[in-house]
Amino acid sequence: MGWFSSLGTRASGGPKTLPGTAESHHSLGLAALLEGLAGAGKMQVLDLGSAVGSNVDYLARYGCKLYIEDLYAAISARGAANPGESRLSPSFLAESLAFSPDTRFDAVLAWDLFNYLERQELAALAMYLAPFCRPGALLLALISIGKQMPQQPMRFRIIDPDTLAYEQQSKAERPCPRFSLYDLSEQMRGFRLSRSFLMRHGIQEYLFQRLPD
Amino acid sequence: MAWKRDDAPSPEPAPTVRPTPPPPLEQRPPNRGLATIGPSIFVKGDLQGEEDLVIEGKVEGKVDLKKNHLTIGAAGRVRADIFGKVVIIEGEVDGNVFAQEQAILRKSGAVRGNITSPRVILEDGSRFRGSIDMEPKAEAKEAPVRPQNAPARSETSADAKHTPPPAAANRPVA
Repeated sequence: MGWFSSLGTRASGGPKTLPGTAESHHSLGLAALLEGLAGAGKMQVLDLGSAVGSNVDYLARYGCKLYIEDLYAAISARGAANPGESRLSPSFLAESLAFSPDTRFDAVLAWDLFNYLERQELAALAMYLAPFCRPGALLLALISIGKQMPQQPMRFRIIDPDTLAYEQQSKAERPCPRFSLYDLSEQMRGFRLSRSFLMRHGIQEYLFQRLPD
Repeated sequence: MAWKRDDAPSPEPAPTVRPTPPPPLEQRPPNRGLATIGPSIFVKGDLQGEEDLVIEGKVEGKVDLKKNHLTIGAAGRVRADIFGKVVIIEGEVDGNVFAQEQAILRKSGAVRGNITSPRVILEDGSRFRGSIDMEPKAEAKEAPVRPQNAPARSETSADAKHTPPPAAANRPVA
């Protein structure tokens, strides 16, 4: 068994982008986040999606130190190995997102991960991440508002500061939790909503900001 | 002179030695001229040297080839920190990667650890967990490099803020 088997099927299978499933969309949330990144010194950015080479290349231009932790893949792997257990327990988070205590992120790219979490999991994740974010740090979340959404989180590729390519892993779909602003604000303790953008393609982009300690 | 060939050609030509044709490509030893740790080799301990190395086997211990190219082949498994000038990963690395010039994670490759290098390439399909730090520390000592974002900070126009700094490829390389 490979050392990376714990990363789950999504990671171990590599990209499964089906031809024709990548679409580009305008992203005002990304533009706002990148605008924030360009205004400071060396930044620390956490990407909670899968590793995308072009994103690494792109963010490197900002002089970022980039952390990549595909949390959904880790959750899937854990679920397969330990069915019935709580998905985002404190021990799991500490193991999957093992940052040194002095780590302080300036930005977090959650992409569409929140769509695949329960409310209490969202709260647990926010509570875990908050101490690792400096006050004022920005978190980008893309929330689906349609009835259905892809079975798995998509891969997001930064095309330019305000354009994202959405790459669907498969054509399968599942019901969408359709989190409201109230839901998110309730669960995202330690953060406040900074800006939100309703996009034409059925995605509400939220930019949360870490509150001062 | 009886031995003059032109005067008395031999009825039976002398046997000629024909060069042996090279073996088919797939039978040749891989990467001739490169040191290679083969797929059946398991090394437990630190590796150090001053020549390029290909690891196709398993290594548990620090690999230190700071001045050379280091390739972790598709069958290679390294569980340790690795140092190289250029590090190419096609197999699996469980440890930190330090490449003085460039680190390349091929689509078949997987890294669980932190990558520190002025230039990092992740091919689509590669698996990575950890951090990537592309700060060109080594170059900064020789030729001070202005912080990447310094010009952008002094700009006030919105367009300037949206424009990313130059690509990493434009950075000086040792």
